[in-house]
Amino acid sequence: MNSVIIAQMVVSGALMGQVYALIAYGFQLTFATSKSINFGQGELVMLSAFFSLSLVGIGLPFGLVVVGGLLFGVGMGLFVERAGVRLALEQKSEGWILLTIILGLFGFSAAENIWGRDDRPFPTPISGDPIQVLGIGITPLELSVTVGVLAIMGLIEGFKRKTLLGKAFEAVSTDRDAAELMGISATRTIMLSYGLSGLVAAMAGILIAPITTVGPTMASALILKAFSVAVVAGLNSGFGVVITGLVLGALESLTSYYLGSGWREAPGLTLLILALAVRPNGLFGKTTIRKV
Amino acid sequence: MGKRFILIRGAEVVLFGLLAVVPWFINNPYALGLLTLLAIYGILLIGLDVTVGYLGQVNLGQVAFLGLGAYAAGLSVSLMGFGMVGALSASLLVGLIFGGLLAFPSLRLEGPQFALATLSFSALTTTILNEWESLTGGAQGLNVTRPTLFGLNLQAQGFYWLCLSLLLLVWFLMRNLLSGQWGRAFEALRDSPIATDAMGVGCFRYKVAAFALGSSLGGLAGGLYAFNFQYLQPQSFVYELMVILLLGVVLGGRKSLWGAVVGAMIVVLLPNLLSNRFLFQMFSAIGLVLALIAGFLGILKKNTPWFQAIAPIVAMSLLVGGGLTVSNTEDWRKAIFALMLFSVVVGLPEGVMGFAGRFFSRLLAVLPASLPPPCDLDAVLPRRSVNGKPILKIQQLHRHFGGVKAVDNLSMEVCSGQIHGLIGPNGSGKSTVVNVISGLYSPTSGNCLLHDKPLPHGSLYQVARSGVARTFQNLQLFGELSTLANVMVAMKGAYRTSFPMVLAGFAHAEERRAQASAMALLHLMGMAQHAATPAKDLTYGTQRFLEIARALARQPEVLILDEPAAGLSRPDIQKLLAIIRQINQRGITIILIEHHMDVVSALCDVVTVLDGGKVIAEGDPQTIKRHPMVITAYLGTV
Repeated sequence: MNSVIIAQMVVSGALMGQVYALIAYGFQLTFATSKSINFGQGELVMLSAFFSLSLVGIGLPFGLVVVGGLLFGVGMGLFVERAGVRLALEQKSEGWILLTIILGLFGFSAAENIWGRDDRPFPTPISGDPIQVLGIGITPLELSVTVGVLAIMGLIEGFKRKTLLGKAFEAVSTDRDAAELMGISATRTIMLSYGLSGLVAAMAGILIAPITTVGPTMASALILKAFSVAVVAGLNSGFGVVITGLVLGALESLTSYYLGSGWREAPGLTLLILALAVRPNGLFGKTTIRKV
Repeated sequence: MGKRFILIRGAEVVLFGLLAVVPWFINNPYALGLLTLLAIYGILLIGLDVTVGYLGQVNLGQVAFLGLGAYAAGLSVSLMGFGMVGALSASLLVGLIFGGLLAFPSLRLEGPQFALATLSFSALTTTILNEWESLTGGAQGLNVTRPTLFGLNLQAQGFYWLCLSLLLLVWFLMRNLLSGQWGRAFEALRDSPIATDAMGVGCFRYKVAAFALGSSLGGLAGGLYAFNFQYLQPQSFVYELMVILLLGVVLGGRKSLWGAVVGAMIVVLLPNLLSNRFLFQMFSAIGLVLALIAGFLGILKKNTPWFQAIAPIVAMSLLVGGGLTVSNTEDWRKAIFALMLFSVVVGLPEGVMGFAGRFFSRLLAVLPASLPPPCDLDAVLPRRSVNGKPILKIQQLHRHFGGVKAVDNLSMEVCSGQIHGLIGPNGSGKSTVVNVISGLYSPTSGNCLLHDKPLPHGSLYQVARSGVARTFQNLQLFGELSTLANVMVAMKGAYRTSFPMVLAGFAHAEERRAQASAMALLHLMGMAQHAATPAKDLTYGTQRFLEIARALARQPEVLILDEPAAGLSRPDIQKLLAIIRQINQRGITIILIEHHMDVVSALCDVVTVLDGGKVIAEGDPQTIKRHPMVITAYLGTV
């Protein structure tokens, strides 16, 4: 009996962990091009979920809701880049850390006032009734999260490898100066990466919303775990975040089972500090040689 | 006693004098509460400014130290019966210890990673305070009794004076500390960690010290916080407060004690500002007007990017518009903080006090502090005796990067008192050799011996301490520091006063001596007139000379110059030749990496030529020029 419960915990935790992986992947996208990340990414996830909920509210079919939500995410990502990141990058300062935190705070407050402080259910056509697989109950809803995450990450990775624009993205990530000399605009590529990062955040919001409900604080715990995943995996390994997401998700659902749900953030945070101390470039990251 | 000294000290006396006498004139418990909070947050922000301002890192952990300090103070009273002094020491100590511990993993981290590590620490702290219910009472909160101070039962007024005296004490100690070598070292660390190590200052020590120091002040403020409110809840020490604290530091002005206190004033007054509609509208209108003036001036003078001019205006307009239309400003609290913080970070990066400081010194025609005359060069750069025997030996040195053998079994000897050239085509391994000798890289195998004793492997700091100094091909100056401070921070043996004595303000004499010594080196470089200029504002050529002056402050036996003539104009090259000769005549052995063959021929006694990580020729410049293998290496074969 006990082993079944543990297996159940591990599986549903690992499936949920894919959402952390997806948000962490959003950090990687912008870090690759600009060495910056959006500290307000959690608010972006939350705002996109709220926006999609409003689209549901005006009676759009679910497919259009997803498209609308994703477009909203892209728009917000572009806004963050313009308002919070570009100036700081031009001045080669780290002001973007503060500015993205500030924009996130603004978004949070706006959501509180526009949509209210209460948690609201997010209707979805996907069933929440568990299917029994080897004695473990998995809901199609949980599965849809993993499928959605892997699908969108696959699409973006395909885009980066197969299309000309995607190759420009890779070029700027590898060597910004050389890419500029080859006529690729780094500014536009960074915009693109923030747009994609917003898209990914919106996707995460839409995937997780039916499970967690939608509220201003829905992403505050989520984002800490996404940070952990990004740092533990390393900020340049898409494969790494998926694995780390699986492990962390499983770990925290076990922690909350054994120590109580208040402790569920603890393993991620501890892992993050440890990872930074031992391997600042992450378990799956490449170490760089200092040059002077 | 100049005008500057009197004005600055006078302003401090007026500030603290006013704050001290207020309780006699205003008998209003609410106002007294605000003033007490002002003093507490002042201490907290002075601590936060050490990491945010001086170290230049976004620190999201200060709120956790406030919380830890508060709980430490509260629990030490209820569980161990400590008095006021004991409890406050406990909270200070908790901040110091946890700050030091957190500094270790955060040591190698920069920018976003540092922010993330501190953010996680804060979140972890809140979790623990919430969940460890048997100790902290969890979300229920913890009641704290205010202990006696030497048997004295402090009422609101007495407690205010206690907080104010502590603020005064912290102000005095931190002013002494930060205006000297410690403050300079913190800033050096911010601008170039590599050079901080290479100049023998030491990243490790100062980064841990800065973080522990800032955190201990956070802890102390936490102790006062606990005894002020007498009730603690984990929910008080969360992210939102952290953002407000950052707002305080940035808005007040970084790297400034005044800035921290002004910031504290803002943090304390904000909630009142929000609850009073009229006040809020007035302040947001003033903000908009200021943003408009600054924006238009910036655009007219064309010294501000348009985004920097426009964005604060838009943000402030939103604030004003919101103030007129929104029904309850309290609900929009976070958005209001965000808009204000946004305008300040974008439009006024130097903060209120940075701006006010410049404004007042122009208005009152305050001159910058005077500098002492340079001391005798012999005192700074003593003449060394030279015997012509090998001083630095490199034995069978290898350094591989993966499959690339950047340095492949290299042996050479550098003789005392000589200028030893190291040349070779691009990619021949010159820079790697220098980086291995100076400790940036560890050798894969082999050794470098100075006076037949092996140099430490892979530590810039320890090599710098053993008497080898270097310059950098890609300049590694401390950009924000003045030219003089760049040299002073590296000055060997100048700072002997112990930490407590520095805190107490007994380091003035040695500070003055260090200034005089640094001036002597700037004179040698012919750049004494630039002493007060920030290094980043110097011309490229002058920056190259500053690199040399800074390395000389280490009083090295061996000086490694990594392409000192790169990018210099012809007259500057002539000046460089003269300076290198002069340094060499003082008995300093020089290793010169250079591409300009005329510089090499003019200066070097011996030249070693590298290709593919190996020595292909060695001899005097004339022989080298005609050496067939050298010609092949540079020009290829026909």
